[in-house]
This record gives sequence, C-alpha cells and structure tokens, in this order.
Amino acid sequence: MKLSAEAQKVLETSMRINKTDDAGRKEIAELIHLMPYDRVLLYKNVVSNPVGDLPRYSIHIRIQHMLTFVTFLALAFTGLPVAFYDHFWAEPLNTLIGGVDVSRIIHRTLAVAMILTMIYHIFTITLGPLAQIFKGRFEIRRTIIPLLKDLVDFKNDLLYFAGIRDQRPEMDKFMYKQKLHYFAAAFGNIVMVVSGSSFLFPDIWASILPADIASHFQELMRLSHPHEALLALLVIAFWHWYNVHLAPGRFPMQWTFLTGKITREHQIEEHFLEYLRNLVEIPEERSYLQNMLVARELREEGHVHEDPEPVGSSGDAPAP
Amino acid sequence: MTMKQSWITLLFLIMIGIPYSGTVQAYVDEEGCLLCHKYPKMGRITEDGARRTYYVMPHVFGKTVHRNVPCRDCHNYIEELPHREVETGVTCNTECHSVKNPATGKNFSHKPIYDAYRDSVHGRDKITSELESDKPYCITCHTNPIYNPKEESIPKRVTDRCVICHEDREFVESWYSHTSRRIREVKRSSIEIIELCSSCHEDQSMVDRRLKAAEARGEELGKKFPVAAETYKDSFHGKVTRYGFTEAANCLDCHADYENYYLSVHEIRPSRDPLSPMHDDKRVETCQRCHEYANENYATIDPHPTKDLESNPFIYYAEEIYNWISYVVIAGLIALALFETIGRRRDGASWKLRRGSSWWRSNRKRKDRDRVI
Repeated sequence: MKLSAEAQKVLETSMRINKTDDAGRKEIAELIHLMPYDRVLLYKNVVSNPVGDLPRYSIHIRIQHMLTFVTFLALAFTGLPVAFYDHFWAEPLNTLIGGVDVSRIIHRTLAVAMILTMIYHIFTITLGPLAQIFKGRFEIRRTIIPLLKDLVDFKNDLLYFAGIRDQRPEMDKFMYKQKLHYFAAAFGNIVMVVSGSSFLFPDIWASILPADIASHFQELMRLSHPHEALLALLVIAFWHWYNVHLAPGRFPMQWTFLTGKITREHQIEEHFLEYLRNLVEIPEERSYLQNMLVARELREEGHVHEDPEPVGSSGDAPAP
Repeated sequence: MTMKQSWITLLFLIMIGIPYSGTVQAYVDEEGCLLCHKYPKMGRITEDGARRTYYVMPHVFGKTVHRNVPCRDCHNYIEELPHREVETGVTCNTECHSVKNPATGKNFSHKPIYDAYRDSVHGRDKITSELESDKPYCITCHTNPIYNPKEESIPKRVTDRCVICHEDREFVESWYSHTSRRIREVKRSSIEIIELCSSCHEDQSMVDRRLKAAEARGEELGKKFPVAAETYKDSFHGKVTRYGFTEAANCLDCHADYENYYLSVHEIRPSRDPLSPMHDDKRVETCQRCHEYANENYATIDPHPTKDLESNPFIYYAEEIYNWISYVVIAGLIALALFETIGRRRDGASWKLRRGSSWWRSNRKRKDRDRVI
C-alpha cells in the first residue's frame, strides 16, 4: 500500500526518533509496500491475544485509572443518595452504605484519594513528556492533546459508520473519542473538587471571594456538584462502558486497563498511526505482519487472490 | 342548644359511658373530678358541630408530668359541681394553687416562658381568631409528655440510700425520675424539630392564608416564609439532617439563640426583628457558631436556596443550561454509540466470541480469520 502523506510523516518521524538503521528502514518500506491498501483486511486477519499484544499504557496510567475508577464510583454511590434524597432509591442505598454518618467519612476520604490521584496523574503527564523531550522522543501527535485532525477523523469516522467511506480514518494513539472523554473527565474532576471543597469549607471560600459573587458561587457549586456527578456517572455508564465492554468487537471487555496492552486488531483498526510506530519500535511485529501477509495471501504486490467467490457489492479487493 | 338540653345530652352520654368505666386510678382524686370525667363517652357536640371529649383517661393522665397537680390548680375557674360551661379553659400561664416554687416560695407557674412565647412571632392567646389560630399555642408543640417512672430501670444502688430516710420506695422512685428527667438532655432531635416546624410551615393553605392576610393589612412577611420548610429540606443542612446527621443546623440552630436554648426557642422572631439571630446585624455571629471563618460575605449565602425564575434567576438559568448540556451530551453519546454499533456491525464485528475475540464474521470483504491458515 501507499501510505498517506500523514502516515508517511508519522513513520518518518518515528524512524528518525528511533534511529532506525538503513536495513530496518528498508524492511519497513518493503513491509508497507506489501500491506494491502484496504486496512480492513489487515485488522480482520491478524491474530490477536485478547489480553493485548502491543504496549499502550504505562503502569502509572493503569494505577491512576484504577484509583479514579474506584474512587469515582464509591464517591458517586455515597454522594448521590444525599443529593437526590427524594428519589425512591436514595434511602435504601444510603442505608446500604451505612447511613450518612458512614458515607460522609467515606466520601471525604475518597475525595482526598481522588485529589491525590489527580496530582499523581499531573506528575505523570508532566514528567513523562519532559523526559521524552529531554531524550528527543517527544511527539505531540502521540499525546492526548486535541488537534484539528481529530475533528477531521470524527467526520470521516461518521462517514465510515454511515457506509459512505470505505475505511476508518487513520487515527493516532488517542482517537477523538478518547480525547473527548479524557478532557471531559479532567474538567469534571476539577468541577467536583472545587464544588466539593465549597461544601466542606464554605466559610473559607466566602472569605476569599468578593462579596458580590460569594453567594452566587456557593449556589452554583451546590447546583454543579450533583449535576456533574450524575452526568459523569451517566457518561461512564452509557458511553465508556459501551466503548470498552459492549461495543461489538470489544465485547466482553478489553484488558488494556489491567495489562496495559492493546490487541493488534484494535491497534490497526482504531490507532493505525500508532501501529506504524509499533512496526518501527518492535522488530518482531514486522516479522509477524510479514508472515501473516504471506500466509494469508494478502500481499498487495504481484499477488493474485485465490478467492474463488466473487466479492460483495462494495468490497472489491484492491487491484494488484 | 339550650343549657338544659346540654345537660340532658351530657347525662345521656354519661349513662352510655358507664359500662366502659372502672379503670384503675393511678393518682389521688381528692376533688372528685373523676366522678364524671372517668367516663369514656363523656363529651358533647358543640354548636358548630365539633365533637369534644371530656374523658380523662386515668391510666394515661396518671403517667403525665401533671399527674400530681390537683385538677383545680389549673382549672381554677371550677367552683361548684357540676360545674358551669367552660369558656377559656386552662392557659399555661395559670398560677398553681398548691404547687410552690421551692426556690422562690411563690406559686408555681409557666408564666416566665409563656411571656417569652407571647412576645415571639408565634405568640397568641389560647382562644383567638381563625387567622391567629394558625400560630401554635403551647400545647401545639408540648403534648404534655407522657412518661412512666417505671419504664427505665432506676438505679437501685442510688435509691436504696434514699429509702433509708424517705421510707416509701414509690415516692423515692417517682421523685428520682422527676429530677433525673430534667437533668438529662430533653432537647428534641434535629429530625423531630424539622418535623415539628414543618407540620405548620409546610402547610400550603396556612401559608396562602397568611400571605393574603398580610397583603390585606399591608404588612410584610419574611421573603422565605412561604418556602421555609421545602427550601430547608433542599439545602445541604436539610439533606444530611434528614438522614439522621446531628451536627448540621436545624431550624432552631439559626432561628433561636443558642446561648439560652430552652428560653430562646420560645422567642423566635422574624429575621427583620433586630432581636432575631437571623437579623442582618447578628447573622455573621450566628453563622460563626458552626462556620468558624464566616464573615459578611458568608452571611449573604442563602440557607433557604430557591431556584425559580422569579426569586433566583441566576440559578434558574444556570440549571436550565446544565440540564440542556446534560440532555444533549447523553443523547449525543447514545446516538454516537448506536451509530458506531451499526457501522461496526456492517464491518463484521459482533458480540460472539471466537478465539478470544469477537471479530469473526465473514463480511463484504470475504476475508476473515475464519480462513484457517
């Protein structure tokens, strides 16, 4: 296949950063040449270990996810019965937790744990890239920082889901959904911490803020804390769990949050640019892909398909 | 109904009540009031159709705080038997004839607390106009607490010493209970206080009636008066208190002066009254009882938060915006998830597992992992 200009750029950057020697460059170039234009063929034919093949998250990120996940749910379940006291489930849930005398201790303790997790995360996302910059390995496209490309990817992905486009866009390590979710969670965490602290230290907030807005601020925080909590819980329940558990192809779960590894097929499908970097960084992956392409007769160059049946309406195999 | 008819009715009621009488008397009835008032059917129907019972349940009254007070100490207008029609009845500022205040030697009376109450926003006469009767009288809150000296085990090692001189164990135990009851904390719990205050302040018909009356008289009611109970329950104080948390402020923590609790709960005043702890001049001090660093800014925070357009447009619009953001986000994400499902199903992904993954269906590409190498 011929890489898009964008993918070519990512590949070049990665090879430069990793100081790939000429032999390696040649090998990669040949491998890219062998790859079919249709990436769908790639991700449907690779063999994946369900617990993951390719590195994705460091141990720090996994610990932070675990901490966020545990603290968030426990905070939600201890807080929601108090905020939404007039709903039928509020009282039984609160009783189940052990009453407000217990739940308020849990809530505050976990709030501190959540804030510490945020600080831990801030350290990770600052020191990690700093180290990369220092080593000359930093790539902004490989981070979660939103770029204009994400909007284009989003549009193209929708076109693909609608059946208009032939392939999913070539997305980077973090796709548009992940970036959106990350910044929503980051924003939500800040809202929860600020509003939560305004419940715990209302007098201190009032003494810091100007007289004109002290009252409005407190009222806004009273409104924001349960609203943001409920919204976050619904987004987690409806969307994040859908994405990682219920989506077809992801069912019953992805193991990335525990193993830190992503499956090969997922990497190629949704993070193709990152897969190109994997090819540069992990020589074994090159040989795996090459063997697979040969064994499955997917090589683009000079290869004739033996598939006897005619192909479907829109799915013509790429011309040799 | 004439006087004569009343008496005939009464007699009739007494007669049908006779078979039900005969309960054991738990206290001394030297005045003979129970001659008549022991009959359960003793009562009448008033001119305006209300049923009144005059039955004194000896087994209940015998356990109340007033059980040792002779009837005519309070019912001091009774001069003959059978007595005449009662007009006002007992008011709580009546002086007792036989019970002396041991400290002053004067006749015992609830008059000091009654006077404090009469000066408060709740003060009213016992018999009063229809509108005024929205306010609570003493017995609205004080239901003449029933307690049984025998219900808690009295520490025998203590009373054994008393009995040596006072001889009568029953006397000793009842005095011990009388004293210990007053020494112990008899404050109502936060939940009870909120229930008590809400029993009137949550009554929309009472609120409407008083708003209308105030308007007619050109008076001003507190701006939180119509929403006091519901907004408290919606506040942070109310939310944790309803679950039994005892340290958050209840109604009396702010509206009464905590320094002299038992007196000040009878002296509740509107916040525009300079004597109220909620008056602008005293508000900061009141907040500081719990919120150590409270200042003037803090005192502007509304403890009875409303969120309707008229009284609080800022929060009204903020909530509208929040709601719309929530609806749009949730609907958008569900729509995206559904759209994605459709798209990826078309691509061949499904929920069925094969070889540890759910990519397995053959599809338009006709190339999938089912083709074993």
